[in-house]
Parts: sequence; C-alpha cells; structure tokens
Amino acid sequence: MKLAELVAELADCDKQERIEMLLDYARSLPPLPPQFEALRDPEHRVEECQSPVFLFAEKSPEGVAWYADVPMEAPTVRGFVSLLWEGTQGASPAELSALSFDIIGQSGLKEILGMQRMAGLTGVLRRLKKIVAETAAG
Amino acid sequence: MSAQNYADPSVVVSAEWVQEHLNDPKVRIVESSGDALLYPMAHIPGSVKIDWHNDLQDQTVRDYISNEAFEKICLENGISNDTTVVFYGDDNNWWACYAFWAFKLKGHKDCRILNGGRKYWIESAKLPTTSAKPNYPKSDYKVPADLDWRELRVFRDGVLEHCKAGRPLVDVRSPKEYTGERTHMEGYPEEGVLRGGHIPGAVSCPWGRAVADDGRFKSAEELAAIYEQELKLKKNDDVIAYCRIGERSSLTWFVLKYLLGFEKVRNYDGSWTEWGNVVGVPIVKGANP
Repeated sequence: MKLAELVAELADCDKQERIEMLLDYARSLPPLPPQFEALRDPEHRVEECQSPVFLFAEKSPEGVAWYADVPMEAPTVRGFVSLLWEGTQGASPAELSALSFDIIGQSGLKEILGMQRMAGLTGVLRRLKKIVAETAAG
Repeated sequence: MSAQNYADPSVVVSAEWVQEHLNDPKVRIVESSGDALLYPMAHIPGSVKIDWHNDLQDQTVRDYISNEAFEKICLENGISNDTTVVFYGDDNNWWACYAFWAFKLKGHKDCRILNGGRKYWIESAKLPTTSAKPNYPKSDYKVPADLDWRELRVFRDGVLEHCKAGRPLVDVRSPKEYTGERTHMEGYPEEGVLRGGHIPGAVSCPWGRAVADDGRFKSAEELAAIYEQELKLKKNDDVIAYCRIGERSSLTWFVLKYLLGFEKVRNYDGSWTEWGNVVGVPIVKGANP
C-alpha cells in the first residue's frame, strides 16, 4: 500500500511544508460521486468530527471502493482523508481493515492539530475500517 | 444587530464592523482556530494568527506563557497596549474565546470577539478572505505591573473549596464526558483521564448551546433562558466553568461574564484533564449533579 510512503513523506517535512502538503491534499480530495449525495445522513457521518464528515463504501471489481465528503472549512481533516484516500487506492479490503491508528501520530499531525480534531481523525479511521469490513462481508 | 441586548455590547463586534475597520491601525484582527490549516488557507485580510497552543501555552510547564513571551507575541504582531484586538476563529469561536481569555489573563484591556467567527464571515456574510500574510511594524507592549487574574482564573484548590461550599459550577463538555461514559479519545489513551464523571455539584450545559446555527451568539433573552431560567444561575452567583482543558469553557465564561453580565465567573483551565486525575478529590458519575 502506498499509504506508508505518503505518511513517511509527510513526517519528514518541517511544519511549514507539512501545512502546505496537507493543504494540497485537502484541495485534491475527489468530489463525492453523485449517487452518495442524498445519503449524507447521521448514519454515514463520522460522529467524532465537529464538521460534517461523511464516508461511503461500495463493492468494486477490486474489492471495496470508498469515498468521502469533508468540507473545505475543515482542511486538516479533509487533508488527512485525502491522504488516506490516495494512499489506499488499490488496497484490498483486508489491508484497509488492518490500517493502524498509529499512522495519525506517525504523519506528524499532532503538532498541527488540536486534540479535539485528533479525535476526529481517529473517528474517521475507525469508521473507514468498519464500513470497508461491512461492505466486503455484505 | 450585534448588540442583542447584551450586558456589555461593546465586546461583540459584527462582521460589518470588522470590515469597516480592516485598515484601522488601532484595530488588530486575530485568528485563533483549532485547525491550524485554516489561517494559511484563507483568513480575514490583514488578520494575524495567534495559536492557542503553540503561541499562548508554555511548552514545558502546563501554564500560559510568561509575560515576556506574551509581550514578544504582541509586538511581533503589531499589537500595542491600547490596540483593540478582535478575535475570531473556527468551531463557533471557542478557540477565539480561549485566546480572548488568555489576553485578559495578561491584562490586555480592549479585547473583542467577531460575532459568528470564520463561519459567519465566510458562509453568511460572504466577505473576502486572503492567504497573504500581513506584516506590521513592531509595536511596544508592556504587561501591566499590577496584573491580577484572580477574577478570571481558578486553580484546583479553589475549585475544591468552591465545590465544598456548594457554589455553582458549569460543566460544558459533551453529555458523555459529563456522565463519565467516555474518559479518553480512542487511539490517544495518553490524553485521557483515569476516571470519568464530573465535579460534584456541577450542572451540565454543553458550550455549543450558547451559539446559534449561523455561528453567532444567541440573543441575551435566549441565553438567559438557558443559564438563568433552566440552570438557575443568578447574576450575583460565584460561578466556575470548566471543560477538558479550559478551551470550551472560555466561551461559556465569555457568555456569562459579558453577554449576561454575571458578576463573578471564573474559568478552571485545569478542567477535567486535571480533576479526573487528581488524587483525593471527589467526583460524581452519571447524569445528576
């Protein structure tokens, strides 16, 4: 999986570069596919995030594909989700479900982010692992 | 528009007021947001960023920065003792209120809050933003010699006395934190507390109840209905607000003190991350005070 490489790259940056990189990630998150737009409801929302963050998964030829909707006004969460998305393209459901919570700390986000939003990132990752496992099984 | 019958209407300024004062040399707009990427992405033209954690907190002692360090931050951002400092930020201004409170701790006279913060400026007022950082000439700044923060801040011994005396406390965390169901954030046990619950006697009133959907503070009448009628707090009560680290409770402190005109409100910045770990202090679990 490409994610480990992207996380290491982020961790190697100084704080200013890390901010720039995360903003680039935030800007490059692909828009939510239209079939999910009407499904932005509490059931698909990441509870721990202050901002409305929604995650979706569906079966794909490769296993499971996932998508996210995060407002631009929550750039750190959006950047993190975008990093996750880019880093997990082509990953198998088993790899996705096995993602470690350690990547949040390893990416050096803690010094940029307040603790309240760190909880949001953990929530994003937990939710992603859950919906991928459910979609793969279902 | 911005006054809303508040006890001290001068401390809350509208987006329109800020827009009219963008080039006023006596006014400095300060962004203080939880998400550190927001300011680099887009901010109010001419505003500076003062980070609640990296700038205002001491990085080794759990306390606020020294007076000398505070003077340095002010002079680097072109803030003088007589500057009108207007704070705004994300999360409905909770970090902005925290920075406001920290500036008050250091004795800064003229602090104000931009009503609605980032959310209102960008989404409702649709006013311009920029990613360009301003550069202000260095100012002079001196923390007053007769600094007295005791009316603003309380330490745990003071809280214990307060709680034993049966005086009112407001817990502004989420209901799950209040009842004790949640003691730490998943994946971050090092940021947690040993026990969950609340300070005996504290009533629960999540901070966000003071804010309307558009990010602005509710009117004085709506706030009085929550804090005075529902929670039965009185304007002459001695009130302590707390949360997890004292940031969300800064907003409640601001609301009680300036918008409702409570005579004595203090923020317990040690909050639950201290109280929930202290040896020998009582706690209460569950939904009742």
